[in-house]
Amino acid sequence: MNKMLKTLAGRSFAASRMRNLIAALAIALTALLFASVTTMTVGAMQSMNLTMQMQKGSRSDGDFRNMNREQFEQLQAVDWIREAGLRMPVSFLENAKRHNVEFDVLDEVQAELTFCMPQYGSVPEAADEVVASDQAIRALGAEPEIGAQIVIAFTVHGKAYELPMKVSGYYETSNSQLSVMWTGTAFRDAYPDIFRYTYDRDGEMAGTYYSDIMVKSADGLKERMEELSRTLGGNPDDMKAANYLPAVVNRMTNPAPDAGVIVITVLFAALFMFCGYLLIYNVFDIAVMQEIRRYGLYRTIGMGGRHVRKLLNCQVLWLSALGIPIGLLFGYVTGRTALPYIMEIFADEYHTLLVSVTPSPLIFAAAALLTVLTVWVSTRKPVKKAVEIPPIEAFRYVEKSTGRRSARKSAFGASLARLAWSNLGRNKRRSAFILISLALCMILLNCAGIIADSVDVEKQASWMIRTDFAVVNLVSTNNMEGFKRREEALKKETIADIAAQPGVREGTAIYKNTMDDTDVTYSFSHVEALLAEPHDESGIGSNMIETPEADSLSILWDENGIVFGLGEDKRPICNVYGMEEAALTRMDLREGECDAHTLYQKMENGEGVLVGVPLNRNDMTYYEVFDLTEIGETISVYKDGQLIKELPVLAKAGINGDDEEIGFTCAGPLRVGHDGLFLYLPAGVYQEIYDDPVIYKYSFNMEEDKRADMETWLADYMENVDVSIDYLSAQSARESAFAMRRMIRFVGGLIGVIFGFAGVLNLVNMVITTILTRRHEFATMQSIGMTQRQLTKMMVLESLYYAAGACILGMTGAVILAFTLVRGIVQTQWFLSFRFTLLPAAAVMPVLFVTAFIVPVAALRTFYHDSIVEQLRIAG
Amino acid sequence: MNCILKASGLKKYYGKNDTVVKALDGVDLEIEEGKFTAIIGTSGSGKSTLLNMFGGLDTPTSGSIKIGETELGGLGKEEAAAFRRRQIGFVFQNYNLIPVLTVWENIVFPISLDNRKPDKDFIMKIVTMLGLEHRLDSLPGNLSGGQQQRVAIARALASKPAILLADEPTGNLDSKSSNDVIGLLKMTGSEFHQTIVMITHNPEIAQMADRIVQIEDGKIKSVSTP
Ligand SMILES: Nc1ncnc2c1ncn2[C@@H]1O[C@H](COP(=O)(O)OP(=O)(O)OP(=O)(O)O)[C@@H](O)[C@H]1O
Ligand SMILES: [Mg+2]
Repeated sequence: MNKMLKTLAGRSFAASRMRNLIAALAIALTALLFASVTTMTVGAMQSMNLTMQMQKGSRSDGDFRNMNREQFEQLQAVDWIREAGLRMPVSFLENAKRHNVEFDVLDEVQAELTFCMPQYGSVPEAADEVVASDQAIRALGAEPEIGAQIVIAFTVHGKAYELPMKVSGYYETSNSQLSVMWTGTAFRDAYPDIFRYTYDRDGEMAGTYYSDIMVKSADGLKERMEELSRTLGGNPDDMKAANYLPAVVNRMTNPAPDAGVIVITVLFAALFMFCGYLLIYNVFDIAVMQEIRRYGLYRTIGMGGRHVRKLLNCQVLWLSALGIPIGLLFGYVTGRTALPYIMEIFADEYHTLLVSVTPSPLIFAAAALLTVLTVWVSTRKPVKKAVEIPPIEAFRYVEKSTGRRSARKSAFGASLARLAWSNLGRNKRRSAFILISLALCMILLNCAGIIADSVDVEKQASWMIRTDFAVVNLVSTNNMEGFKRREEALKKETIADIAAQPGVREGTAIYKNTMDDTDVTYSFSHVEALLAEPHDESGIGSNMIETPEADSLSILWDENGIVFGLGEDKRPICNVYGMEEAALTRMDLREGECDAHTLYQKMENGEGVLVGVPLNRNDMTYYEVFDLTEIGETISVYKDGQLIKELPVLAKAGINGDDEEIGFTCAGPLRVGHDGLFLYLPAGVYQEIYDDPVIYKYSFNMEEDKRADMETWLADYMENVDVSIDYLSAQSARESAFAMRRMIRFVGGLIGVIFGFAGVLNLVNMVITTILTRRHEFATMQSIGMTQRQLTKMMVLESLYYAAGACILGMTGAVILAFTLVRGIVQTQWFLSFRFTLLPAAAVMPVLFVTAFIVPVAALRTFYHDSIVEQLRIAG
Repeated sequence: MNCILKASGLKKYYGKNDTVVKALDGVDLEIEEGKFTAIIGTSGSGKSTLLNMFGGLDTPTSGSIKIGETELGGLGKEEAAAFRRRQIGFVFQNYNLIPVLTVWENIVFPISLDNRKPDKDFIMKIVTMLGLEHRLDSLPGNLSGGQQQRVAIARALASKPAILLADEPTGNLDSKSSNDVIGLLKMTGSEFHQTIVMITHNPEIAQMADRIVQIEDGKIKSVSTP
């Protein structure tokens, strides 16, 4: 840029500190908004990711298993692998109590990737040093502390070992059932016998190499990894092969971005952009108008429009360079502070929820980019105005007055109120922006308030659980697992222990079929039509997939995409529940025999079955695509391919989360019977049909005064007696709804406050500008007898008019939006029931009025006493 | 006679229909190179309008202005600005100095905008003649009105313009300073052979010009030599 222009830009910039401060503040505030929303988004995604990685036990991109030494060494040399950890499994420890401890040799890379690095103490160096989770150390009978002595016992290659070890460090456990104890390569070198590779002959794990890897790019990772497995001489597919060398991509590390999160982020970004626009536009518009004579002067002495644009852009750039970093920093801090509140809503779904956000460059880059964009957009119009105004007009430019100007002069004697009123219309757009930003603060706060109030705690809680408590295996509360194997059943002793507690009422055990129960299948008219389609000699039709993955069933699907898990005879195995009468009584019977007692008796007599239809939570009606049977229709039961029973549909019930599995997840049924049918039978009939019936859930009510005791007892029992269980209580279901309400209040409140701040900043800017530009006018007024008191009063009145206008606009807007947009949003979310309130908006009103009072008083104190007036004298 | 500026059929109307203000209503005027012309007339007669038109700050409703070989109406916005900083020197009643720049920077500002090197010897000559040589590093705010106007004159002369336009340059000054400024203006004008067109209300000052143009109601009433 031209040197003289630069000098001019620099000096002008330095000469208007107050204005620059306000402008930089406006830009900083905008940057703050963007940085906080990007921090929250990235943080939420990171936290979810990390939580899921923790659950999986690795944050790597994938891993290779069952390698021998040469294969591992070749793997380390592969160029697309950035990092490869070393893991040599030894064995599970035989002397650990109530906790599974896996004993491995790891290197630091592997320990880092699999969350095994010591939080206290250091990594193991000597052959007799180990690092383990606190729980693993306790399970071996020692206290978790550095230097603790333990003994580990295990058997490998047919030989039993019992070795004394020393704890060099430990970490807090994240998985109550299983954790890793590890030692370094010194141990491997000290016991070469343990690490003899014999896997290809006898399947012995000790001696094999495992490796979690990080790659340079995740494109086509699955194919590349499987290819590598083959190149190494392994077989990635066949579990039974001697050279089985699994190559597994970690789905937790590379998940698809969540569409909901993206939509919300875009929405907030747009809202914030608007807020930033209101603010920055006003600040620059005022700045340009104040300087417009100066631009006229520049033009008369030969400056072109191009020069003026450069001059202004240069100042915008400096202001951005000043405001953006500050805003980004505070925004990051704000986002970080808010993150835990947001993550709280997931707290029930993920047991060990980790909240984490690292200051990634992405956060700052995205926020800075959005801010720059907003600043650029908001300053274009004021800059254009400065550039395009004809020099002679700029030169004689006076802030446009309204037609009331003459009236104002004559009204002076009449009343200060009218005088103040007539000032409002001086610049319509600017006044409108102040009003809008203040009103938006009220409107947004109120919308957030309505949504928060509309969180239907009872509806949410009753969807999740029909009783006071429900105890299940841990897998049922993990939405990536679910109850699907017999071995995950609740233990009889556990149920007995719970039932023996004082205050337990209406305790009922619920049986459920699993993926192991493929011998029992069902047929009904809907699937008969599907099964009638052409199929090959092995029984596989065009609408079927046979066992796509090791841990899943063959499936069949209909034209609506409803999927059925298939048993051995290629008929659906369905999701079948066996229960006692008390449990049936709690269900939502809607069609056929609706008297629970009669229904139960009929079913016990083998007269039929109850079919459950999943409900649409929004309106609590059946999902039509899941409603596959008619009352009276017969369902045929097959065992080992033989028809054993014919059960007519006696009744239909609308089923919720509790009826399917428990509260928040239905991962189990989704893997067993998949989408249907859901069949409910008396426990007796269930036991008759299934060879090895297992219980997946124990539901019970509690006497009210004993509920808290039960929570403590269960927490203790889970930790010390049966670590395989987890529970949900009606109270904790309510808590999670309350957490959501808190989150909405917090986030909505935050945004409202930020808009309020923008509005107040606008007001401050307006008041200061008015004082500065109208000093002459004020001086004239004072010279003809207006006192400073009256002057203050006039400015306060003017400011109060803005507040009043904003209140009217805000209240009206809040009411209108409540019954349109907000109600619309509320209706799309099942856990919300519209509840109107104007309280948040009303609460803002006094704050607004007090601020509107304080701002001009403080501004006049600061800027309107003679010495400063002198200092701030504007040239020309 | 060598004519540097030629205005023909100049009209400038403000407003429309019944409320129309004819600020200029058919002005034909030629300005001779190297001469000092004074424009006089009652308030509102259209003097400033005419001068602004000469400087390309304003465009006429009809008619044309030619300065040297350049037709002003044929210039685009940026060209007009460039023409202004190279060919026109302006001096205004309220000085119009840039308050954040020093006296020297103010004087060379239009030249620097063109990325040209200021002719230092020439400018120092002007500065010395105007008695500003010890004030070059001051800010305009610290100068008296007369001094500020002298800086404005130096700025107007620095780029060796084809024509120097002055709109009541002494309007804000007391009579002593006024006489000083006009004396200096006239002296530098004849020293550097500079064409000057100046508006004034002061008949005494008008008498110092080579030629006096009187304007009334947007028309030229008389042209005389004192
Ligand atoms: N932008 C404008 N809009 C409307 N009328 C204008 C505008 N500029 C000037 N006029 C009118 O044109 C006429 C001539 O104005 P001009 O400024 O040229 O007068 P002047 O001779 O310079 O007066 P003064 O000696 O008071 O400076 C006046 O009647 C004025 O009101
Ligand atoms: Mg004039």
